[in-house]
Amino acid sequence: MIRKFFEWIISPMGRIAALIVALSLFSLAAYGIYITQQSPAQPIQFKHSIHVNLQVQCLYCHPGALRGASPGLPTLTKCWGCHQQIAKTDTSPLLAVLKDFVLNGKDIAWVPVAQVPDFVHFNHRPHIAAGVNCEDCHGDLSKMEIYENPQVLNMGWCLKCHRSRTEDNIQNNPQNDSQISAVLAEKRTKLTDCGTCHY
Amino acid sequence: MSEKISRRDFLKLASVGAATTAVLTGCGPASRYVVREPYTKMPEYTYNGLSTYYATTCRECAAACGLVIRTMQGRAIKAEGNASNPVNLGKTCARGQATLHGLYNPDRITEPYKGIRGQPLGRESGSVLDWDAAIQVVADALKNNNPSEVAFLMGMAPDHLFDLVSDLTAAIGAPAPVRFGALGMFESRATLSKAAENLLGQPAMPFFDIANADVVLSFGANFLETWLSPVAYTRGFAKMRRGNPKRRGYFIQFESRLSQTAAKADEWIPIHPGTDGLVALAIGKLVAEAKGGVTPRAFASVNVADVVTKSGVALETLESIVHHVVEAESPVAIPGGTALGQSNGLSTAEAVLAFNALVDNFGKPGGVSLSPLSPNQNVYHRPASAQEMTDFIAKMKSGGIKVLFVHGVNPVFELPKSLGFAEALSSVPQVISFATFPDETALASDYIFPDHHGLESWGYQRSVTGTQQSVLSGAQPVVSPSYNTNSTVDVLLRAAQLAGGKFAEALPYADEVAFIQSKLTNLIGETDGSFVAPEINTFAAYFQQHGGWWKNAAELPTPSAASALGQGVTVEEAEFAGEGEFFFVPFVSPTLAEAGANKPWLQELPDPTTTVLWNTWVEMNPETGKELGIENDDVVKIVSEAGEVEAPVYLYPAIRPDVIAMPFGQGHTAYGRFAQGRGANPADVLGLHFNEAGDLAFAGMRVKVEKTGRKQVLSRLEGKLGVYGFIEEK
Amino acid sequence: MATELEQAGFTNRSEEELGGRWGMVVDQDLCTGCQACVAACSMENNVPFVGEEDAGYGRAMHWIRIERLWESTEYPEVKMTPFQPTMCQQCHNAPCEPVCPVYASVHSDSQDLNLQVYNRCIGTRYCGNNCPYQVRAFNWYDYTDARIRPELTTLQNQLNPDVTVRRRGIMEKCTFCIQRIHKAEDKAKSEGREVEDGEFTTACAQACPASAITFGRIDDPKSEVSRAATSSRGKHLLEELGTLPRVTYLAGGA
Repeated sequence: MIRKFFEWIISPMGRIAALIVALSLFSLAAYGIYITQQSPAQPIQFKHSIHVNLQVQCLYCHPGALRGASPGLPTLTKCWGCHQQIAKTDTSPLLAVLKDFVLNGKDIAWVPVAQVPDFVHFNHRPHIAAGVNCEDCHGDLSKMEIYENPQVLNMGWCLKCHRSRTEDNIQNNPQNDSQISAVLAEKRTKLTDCGTCHY
Repeated sequence: MSEKISRRDFLKLASVGAATTAVLTGCGPASRYVVREPYTKMPEYTYNGLSTYYATTCRECAAACGLVIRTMQGRAIKAEGNASNPVNLGKTCARGQATLHGLYNPDRITEPYKGIRGQPLGRESGSVLDWDAAIQVVADALKNNNPSEVAFLMGMAPDHLFDLVSDLTAAIGAPAPVRFGALGMFESRATLSKAAENLLGQPAMPFFDIANADVVLSFGANFLETWLSPVAYTRGFAKMRRGNPKRRGYFIQFESRLSQTAAKADEWIPIHPGTDGLVALAIGKLVAEAKGGVTPRAFASVNVADVVTKSGVALETLESIVHHVVEAESPVAIPGGTALGQSNGLSTAEAVLAFNALVDNFGKPGGVSLSPLSPNQNVYHRPASAQEMTDFIAKMKSGGIKVLFVHGVNPVFELPKSLGFAEALSSVPQVISFATFPDETALASDYIFPDHHGLESWGYQRSVTGTQQSVLSGAQPVVSPSYNTNSTVDVLLRAAQLAGGKFAEALPYADEVAFIQSKLTNLIGETDGSFVAPEINTFAAYFQQHGGWWKNAAELPTPSAASALGQGVTVEEAEFAGEGEFFFVPFVSPTLAEAGANKPWLQELPDPTTTVLWNTWVEMNPETGKELGIENDDVVKIVSEAGEVEAPVYLYPAIRPDVIAMPFGQGHTAYGRFAQGRGANPADVLGLHFNEAGDLAFAGMRVKVEKTGRKQVLSRLEGKLGVYGFIEEK
Repeated sequence: MATELEQAGFTNRSEEELGGRWGMVVDQDLCTGCQACVAACSMENNVPFVGEEDAGYGRAMHWIRIERLWESTEYPEVKMTPFQPTMCQQCHNAPCEPVCPVYASVHSDSQDLNLQVYNRCIGTRYCGNNCPYQVRAFNWYDYTDARIRPELTTLQNQLNPDVTVRRRGIMEKCTFCIQRIHKAEDKAKSEGREVEDGEFTTACAQACPASAITFGRIDDPKSEVSRAATSSRGKHLLEELGTLPRVTYLAGGA
């Protein structure tokens, strides 16, 4: 039976059929990967660009980034603090959604986008303390409407930065100071150690 | 395959496989499609992603250990000890650690319920009420019954609810609430209280300062397990051992089986059950003689040779102990556990206390003192003894109780069946339970109006013993209540208002917090405590923040030893109930205690001495097992004059050959999926056998052992082969 | 009879030479076997409970366990060995490290601890096989999945977000509460200083009512753990194997 199948597969009809199956599986796979990389739909069509261009600081809505691991999402009161004073809240259909949430005391079920897997423990505080800007990882939010990751947040990308910032080179150690070299070496050990992020 | 695959075909197949794999891995971790709801009603002081810590009190037993609960985004995630609370000083026992498994238990009662007695919880056999209707039921129960026929049966925690009910019942002319708990029964609190009253002058729990003792003689007291205040006593034990660089304390345990406490002793003396008091007197007499001078009246009449025969302790052993005591600077003797759970329990306790008087350690470091009254308490109180519970049950049976309120205790399970509590319930027309979990008593009630879990509650708990400082430990909710439960204090307050008249007058408080604050007013302005506050609001804020209020200095209410020594102490021989070749020793499971069976992580903790997990066992000496032809995991039936129980055997070398022991804590027929149908309850074989103080003589039963022919394999942490140096014969 | 390792001088090295910041001392004279540390560790590290049957098969996931052995079992001269809380010994010369085919069980150069990287683990169990202390636990099933075990739906609220929840096929072990180490170090870093000894401790040490477990900076000679580790009562478990464990046990008894 198997022999017959293989004979058919090798025949022209069979090859075309196999090609169609392979192509459809491949496109299915490609589509599958594509949709997982798309930003999910959010309960409110929040546009970062508007807010950033109005000079609202990142840390105003996401203050946790300065103090700890999670920057946090703004509470309803934070959004409403400004929006209750803005005339557009009553007229805009997009803001009507926010109004509905606030006035009915409903929780906004934000879908997290800038996510890393469960087994990675990412801590914002040391990154902010090291002088990394929000847009270095999250992209230029003054141009981003609905948030999506500018690049995949995977380990290789994290390590690229971890390595380059701890390389003993002209950029990081302009005076070629041995003490700075030692510090850079220690930092590099820490930043490339598995246990720093995976525990 | 007989046909070879060409390279081209292989590559095609491989790429399809790779694409499929890519799809599957590209889907990412399962959490990707989880929505995240921000903590919208976050308290102002909480930072997103940072934990908030709240101080409260553990309610797993009545010791009043302070806890600090770490919460994250409105969920309690870790329990730690409150470093400032003098009872536990930042430490916790296993039950305190697992308290979160109670808070987030899958079998919690979620709303007020009108059930059908004996039926399991469910829509088919009952109906859900709303709280207004529930409170109306309570109000009607209070109003429409003669106050003398209203009864409250409560657990040993929490104290603030007990105070509220005490106030209510006193004002309306109802009988005072009765408190009971299995732990209190196995600790023989009435006996300790009475012995303290007789020899130390007050009906308090005596406090044994083992931290500063150099020789400790424990007669059955399992102070490292669940006895009275285990965290405090464990700390004391550690200090006794290694707290003083010049000496290591010496510890001797008299017990018929090697308990976890006895395992830490330098000497374990397997005395004949019921002879602890006699041994204490004998040692006392020998010590008095060794010291010279007149032997005090308490010890004068004991016949040492007689004691040697009765107890099975060799004279040389007694003399070596005497030597330790005489050479010691601060020896102390502790009565407890199985020593008091005998018909001669009270005289045993008095003999041991008299021994302490003999070595002159009353009120001294390393000796015995009375535990101080808690800051907002002016009278010592103890839970009901088994005799008092029997009287209460008789009142139930005679129809003298028309409505019974039950909170914080599970008498259908905790009381021995022979006392007849479950049967007596049928003579009580209305039973209202405030249980948080669907335990046996809740299912035997007409209504369940669930209280919050301890971690969702306000309150306070007095420290009865464990420290020489007077401690009032405070409780506050660490999370919002998960379900439609209601604080029992609030329920009673609202019901009293609804009932009107003298009920409303008795409890004129707006809510639970107002009531609790009313009980703290005597502490305002006190300067000798953990903080000072000039008025109630500041006081309450600090009380919440610190987790309670306690006096800074130790108090040692000390009686004179002369009166103790001048009394004649007669220890009668223990009487045993029933017939059988074995003495039966039930002991509280050191991991589960009385109410831990519904917490899976407690079930998964191995018993310290046998390493058995998730079940009940019967400890039997291997020699006895060999004689009777009983092997490990053989299920045996234990028969007493009061009942019978079955459990598999664990051959345990560290137990007298004429004694069998069984842990208490399992054998539930309800109480959630982790507890139900698991193990067996040794209380089933305990009969109406009391000591002179009214406590249950729980170690005073004689039993027969019958083989059932069945086997039930026990899960153990230790390996099975060659554990004791002998290979089990198949 | 000197083993090859002894001849090579491995066991003669002092703690200072061996390096490392974190050490632990367990005083067996104080340990009462109460299991508070076991419960605390399980609550802190999201260790799953496996149930009666699997526990009977030896699949219980305790990261720390109290070992109770017997010195003599002839009644009435029965003697238990002192209770021995056993957790990952964080060996300087760990047998579990070199054998992982995918580098999931690696040595951390920055913390000088033995790491378990959960996302790398493919479940060969070679590391568990090699560990002479048998302190590694393997997730034989999905013990934490609420879809398979609906009783976990509410119990999941108690999980610690600082520790990864493991799925089946993954090895796990005591990490010296590395999440607490990281938290304390982060806090210290934000204040511009080093972590001090006593600023934080492991879950087991924090819970122990007898204070039998001490944890801290072993590289600081003044720390409590350093002083305890140099006690004359100190010994290591299975010292003759040359694993150079980081945990020192103070012998029980007089």
